[in-house]
Order: sequence, then C-alpha cells, then structure tokens
Amino acid sequence: MNTNPVIEIKDLHRRYGKLEAVNGLGLSVQPGRCYGFFGRNGAGKTTTIKCLLNLLRPTSGSVRVFGLDPQQNEVGVKSRLAYVPDAVAFYPWMTVRDTLDYLASFRASWNRDMENDLLGRFGLNESQKASDLSKGQKTQLALIGAICPEPELLVLDEPTSGLDPIVRREFIQTVIGAYQSGDAEKRTVFVSTHLISEFEGLIDEFTIIEQGRELLTMESDAARERFKKIRARFTQPPASLQAPGALQVRQEGREVEILANGNSEELVAWLQNLHPEDLRAESLSLEEIFVASKALAGSKP
Amino acid sequence: MLFHIDFKTGKPAYLQLVDQVRYAAASGALRAGDSLPSIRPLAEELRVNRNTVAKAYAELESQGVIETIPGKGCFLKDGNTPFTKPVRQKLLLKEIDEAVVTAHHLQVDRSDFLALVKERLDYFESKKERP
Repeated sequence: MNTNPVIEIKDLHRRYGKLEAVNGLGLSVQPGRCYGFFGRNGAGKTTTIKCLLNLLRPTSGSVRVFGLDPQQNEVGVKSRLAYVPDAVAFYPWMTVRDTLDYLASFRASWNRDMENDLLGRFGLNESQKASDLSKGQKTQLALIGAICPEPELLVLDEPTSGLDPIVRREFIQTVIGAYQSGDAEKRTVFVSTHLISEFEGLIDEFTIIEQGRELLTMESDAARERFKKIRARFTQPPASLQAPGALQVRQEGREVEILANGNSEELVAWLQNLHPEDLRAESLSLEEIFVASKALAGSKP
Repeated sequence: MLFHIDFKTGKPAYLQLVDQVRYAAASGALRAGDSLPSIRPLAEELRVNRNTVAKAYAELESQGVIETIPGKGCFLKDGNTPFTKPVRQKLLLKEIDEAVVTAHHLQVDRSDFLALVKERLDYFESKKERP
C-alpha cells in the first residue's frame, strides 16, 4: 500500500527527571484503521498521546501526525484531529449549547445534523450547565465535540473508564455509527484503553506498551489466529505433559490448559493421541493477549 | 436476520458474517430478494468496525451470494452463482477436506460420517421446503 501513515512515531523518548516514561517507542498507524494502544497504568500511553498533540515535547525521537511535526505545525495537526481525554473538563459556567458553540468556533466545519442527532441520542439538555453534568454526560458532550468537526483522526485516551456499561456501549456505538460514517480513508481512530474487551470488535491492529517500550504489535485477526487456549480433560490425571512448542502449560488434576502460539493444530492433534474425554480450543481475546503479553512477546510462532 | 460474532472462534469477524449469511441462504432463513441490514446499524449493533461489515458484504458479493443495488441496499440473489461447475466443486472440496480431517480427529468413522452428511442434507432440504 502506498499510503502515508496518519501517525508515525520513531524511537520516541520522554523523560520526567530521571524517569524514562517513554523509552524508544515506535509505531505507525495507517489511514482508516482503528488502532488500539494498550498498556498498564504508567506504561507511557498518555505521555505518548500528549507528544502527538504537542502538549508535551519529546526528549528525543520523532513524532509525525499526517506527516507533520506537531511542534512545528501545531495548528496544521490539531485542525485535523480531535482528542477525548480520560478526564474531560469544560468551563463550568457554560451550558451544553455554549460549550458546543465554543468548540465549533475553533473548527473549519461542524456537522449540525450530527450534533442534533447525538444530543437527542444521549438525551442531553442544551440549556444545562456543564458543571451540573454527570461524568457520563461530560464524556458524551466531549464525544459530540470531537465527532462533529469530522476530523480525520480521533484520539481517545481511556475514553470509557469510570462510565457505566450503558454509556460505554453507547460511546462505542457512536464512534462506529457517527464517526465512521464518512470516507473510510479519512476516519482513523487511535484509542488507548484498559477496557479492551469493549473495543474488541473495533480494533484492527494494536500495540502493547510496557515501561515506555513496544512489547507487541499485531493485527487483531492475526493475533486471535495465532494465540489459542486449548483445554483438555482426561479420565485419569495425565503424567507430566511435555507439550511440544507450547507457550505455557497449566495442569490441575485431570484438566490441562495449553497456550498455543501459532501451533494450535499440531497441539490439538498431539493431545488427541492421548485420548482426552474432552478437548476444545479457543482464541485468546485481545484482553487475554494483553494480560499474557509478557509471555507472548518475543515468542516466535 | 440476526447476526452474532464470537471472537473466541479465531475466525475473523467478517468471515463469520459471510458464513452466517451463506448458512441463512442455504437453510431458507433468507430468501432470494430479501434485504440484508445496512452496514451502519449492523456494525453498531455488533459493535464491530464498519469496515468489517463492508468487507463481509464485498466478499458475499464477489461470491455471487448477494447483490448491491445502489441507493437501496444489499439483497440476497437467487441461487445462481457466477462460477462454473468445476470451480464450484473445487471450492466445496476444500470444505469437505476440512470436515474429513475433523472427523478423523474426533474418531468419527466413514459410515457415520456419510450418514451425518446425508442427515444434514435432508435437514436443509426440509427447512427450505417449508413455506
């Protein structure tokens, strides 16, 4: 594909005093993708995102958004993206209406139909003061403010943490329905989250970051194809199992659980020869891949 | 028709949608001329990327299962596929081989396997005949 990446990070370093928050990170996001950015608290996710938005300056390394340097061309970058942080803050004296008009005043275009549609969908009252909104409503308002300018890139930093399940679900459906409704090439999502399972169906590709470094980058479909969990139950507890090429073997009495790394068919066939009572294989979810990522990273299929 | 995505199967979500439409067509749950849900509401409902649904529909269209009428949506086509008989048989062989391999691992023998195939053929035919 001869397309320029929407986000390109190369050997990014950002220090806070002696702490290396981001330590040689690299990644690249192609247009039209929904890219997941996973990591534990303190792994460097928010620091990285702030470097994309020029809210922080990199200590070294390069960051490009739409091929531009956010430090040199801040307006050029920010006019084409929208950002929803984990804790949204609005001017408390403004109403919902004032807030949206204020946000729209910074934008070249603003989709009024979409704004009306989303206000109705979320049941937000335009005359309510921003200070009286619940956390969920504030996030909904921030999402409306992010989507209505129809940006080419939507950056979401822990957007659904602290929200109830219904608001979380609506949030994701809005990203799919309203945001993705435009030209697919110009609708890129970069989302950092802990609530990975909720975004499972949306994420095309992901990077797991740990201690400021990339631990694992994969396409979601390829990851689910490669990492599988095989469970077998035997009539008698089996003698110690030396499963060939298994990433991890857990045994509890008559039950065995094996983590396969691209070799699930061979492992299933191998287990079959031991005549289990029950045998099933399933893919790891993206969340399980994240939890096991230390063991998975660096392993070869 | 109602769709369902299960990420634990390891099969890409778009292929799961393709299979479900093909199954519905084979079992008569969808008939020629029936419309498929449009991309946006289906993607929202399943909470999958719109590209996933678009890719599934594109695949179904290239297989000749559905057709897109601009401005109207996607519809199930009648059973005529654009492929010649040898191509169709070759496509089916791949699926049969997979079932044969699975049957081997599950220790289902030849006669049981053939009986099961016959039973499933009868099942789908009986479902289709129902008005």
